[in-house]
Amino acid sequence: MDQGGTMAAEPSAHFSLDRRTALAGIAGVFGASLFAPLARAAGYEPIPKINTGKPAVVFTPAQRALVAALSERIMPTTDTPGAIAAGVPDYIEHMMGDWAVSDDRDLILGGLAAIDARSMADFQKPALKASSAQQDALLTLTMNDAIPGGAKFFEAFRQLVLTGYFTSEVGIMQERSYLPVPGDYDGAYPASKIDRIFSS
Amino acid sequence: MAATDRFDAIVIGSGVSGGWAAKELTEKGLRVLMVDRGRMVEHGEDYPYDGKPAFEIPARNRMPAAFTKSDYKGLNFWVQPANQPFFTNDRLNPYDFDAPNPFHWVRGGVVGGKSLTWGRWSFRWGPNDFEANQREGIGTDWPIRYDDVAPWYSYVEKYIGVSGGRENLDYLPDSEFMPPFPMNVAEKWLKERLETEFPGRKLINARLSNITEDKPEQNRTRCQKRAQCDRGCSFGAYFSTQAVTLPAARATGRLTLRPDTWATNVEYDAAKKRVTGVRLVNANTGAVEVVPARMVFLCASAMGSLHVLLNSRPEGSERSHFHSNGALGSAVMDHIFKVNIGGDVPGMTEFVEYGRRPGGVYVPRFRNLKAEELPFKRGYGYQGGASRRQPAPEGFGAAMKHGMRTYGGWRFNMSAFGECLPYDDNRVMLNFAKKDARGMPLLRFDVTFRDNELKMMDDAQAEGERMLRQAGLTNVTSNRGTHIPGEAIHEMGGARMGRDPGTSVLNGFNQAHDAANLFVTDGAMMASVSCVNPSLTFMAMTARAADHAVKQMKAGTI
Repeated sequence: MDQGGTMAAEPSAHFSLDRRTALAGIAGVFGASLFAPLARAAGYEPIPKINTGKPAVVFTPAQRALVAALSERIMPTTDTPGAIAAGVPDYIEHMMGDWAVSDDRDLILGGLAAIDARSMADFQKPALKASSAQQDALLTLTMNDAIPGGAKFFEAFRQLVLTGYFTSEVGIMQERSYLPVPGDYDGAYPASKIDRIFSS
Repeated sequence: MAATDRFDAIVIGSGVSGGWAAKELTEKGLRVLMVDRGRMVEHGEDYPYDGKPAFEIPARNRMPAAFTKSDYKGLNFWVQPANQPFFTNDRLNPYDFDAPNPFHWVRGGVVGGKSLTWGRWSFRWGPNDFEANQREGIGTDWPIRYDDVAPWYSYVEKYIGVSGGRENLDYLPDSEFMPPFPMNVAEKWLKERLETEFPGRKLINARLSNITEDKPEQNRTRCQKRAQCDRGCSFGAYFSTQAVTLPAARATGRLTLRPDTWATNVEYDAAKKRVTGVRLVNANTGAVEVVPARMVFLCASAMGSLHVLLNSRPEGSERSHFHSNGALGSAVMDHIFKVNIGGDVPGMTEFVEYGRRPGGVYVPRFRNLKAEELPFKRGYGYQGGASRRQPAPEGFGAAMKHGMRTYGGWRFNMSAFGECLPYDDNRVMLNFAKKDARGMPLLRFDVTFRDNELKMMDDAQAEGERMLRQAGLTNVTSNRGTHIPGEAIHEMGGARMGRDPGTSVLNGFNQAHDAANLFVTDGAMMASVSCVNPSLTFMAMTARAADHAVKQMKAGTI
């Protein structure tokens, strides 16, 4: 489920993958700039429950559509399904509505608004109505911080897309190779035998 | 169950130690009541996330940070939605400390305790670990030596199954091993380089309670290399109460198990110097009863057992029956932790890993094994492993997506665990001004790391970097987080074993000096903590104490 390189030293990925390195699997991927997945406080319950039903509504229909479009531009359909087929937009709304706090939400909503504003200026239409090439141009500006707050938004949004994608059924089963019960361990398995890296 | 039911023994707690106590005592013919404050978790059927991919786990198995902060603060990043049901909720079960000196108390919250979620690294302590206090004049001497425990290590190892490689190291004795989980190609390369560059230092296979051969007589299957142990393992491939000791105790027909049952204190007859029973509170109804027993095994986790002992007080007194000499609650320890070192292993990119081991490799202690001029006492070891780096995203779109289809190079990471010294003023006590839902005064921590621990962390960081660089790794980096005591989840001590009843709580058989029929066999017993993981020693000591207790009972002395 890791999406990035693990450049920094961190609790090692092997002395206990499940407990000791919960941090390594998440923070290690994105370094210090982890965009925290956070929860709504559910103070009325003895122990909060994580909502696994329908996401709390966070986006307007237009925002929701833009989130879907940008997700798909970041992780497009190629020889495997892309972000929309993997349910990434729904995951992002869950993150924003059920598992996030308002600071994180503001960063995403603010970024979407800034992209829309730039789209109006450059293309005289909202980003959702822009062509794929124009949306890619907007994302590139965002990535290069040429839009106010762009780079911060881009990093957070891309993390959301990648995390949502690689923890989805599509990401785990199709884009990567899923070994639910490996049975054995081979520490010198020929790389030539795999055409997809393994889901973790 | 009527209060008039009598048990030969009550076991308080059902984790690593409690499960072993229940197994041994019932197999030796005793009728045993085992209580745990947590709810029942049955092997297999109550592991809701066993084998589930991320998309079938709430929040894709990422613990929402606000949820951790509100309810599981002490668990930091250990807690995930898939293991959260096995932990105690901190908000609903508070403990106490002064803000400048926090303590993180990670507690199991169900039957099986932390045996369900533990790290599973299983080492014998060596002769040196039982002798250092006396030799260095630190803390109090152990009343036992390695040879007293060695046969009991063998006994529990054969039963649970410990994987590892034979090394013949006098400072890290071999267990009765199943074959080890193999090293991968990068670790083998590093082993050769490191051991050549640093004669005397070793890089060895992890020693784990994950089994590499089936145990059909226990209905356990060898590890399937899924690396999701802390969700509970339906294969029974690692040691847990559920997979190993509870089935054995149940098979005797002499075990009564009561989950959802808090033990607040033991009842004590000061004239006879005996415990007479245990006061129990039903976690669901609040109903209180005192259940009598001829003998009590206190296995409520190190700090949990101290809580029960400290709260076992004469009517109207704030002083425990077992606090006669001032030793109870003092010299609480943890391991040093939070020092991490990593480096890139060159080449070998034609190989990847197939499968996910539950552990990697170990660099055993190499400091202060013989006379050395170092600014700290004792030593540390490193737990680590090598794996191929996950690919980093570049840009976005199809190029990024397809660029993430190959691994990065090999990276080796390791983390230090080191020995903390016993300081009498590292204490836990009761705070009578704050009480929990059962009316128990909160357990209050006053524990800090000292100069020796901080210098050891310095050394572990510097030596770790030096070893990896000199062995030929590149891009070597390290970090060192602030270590809050308890974060290693190896908290121990507070009811130490000792030769002298004036300075210790337990004798050489884990028997309370003040009550011959009270045994404490979890981490509270420790007079020092070695630098290796303690759970295997809890098991061996519990089996040894149970053997002694039953012999004494049959001889009529308790």
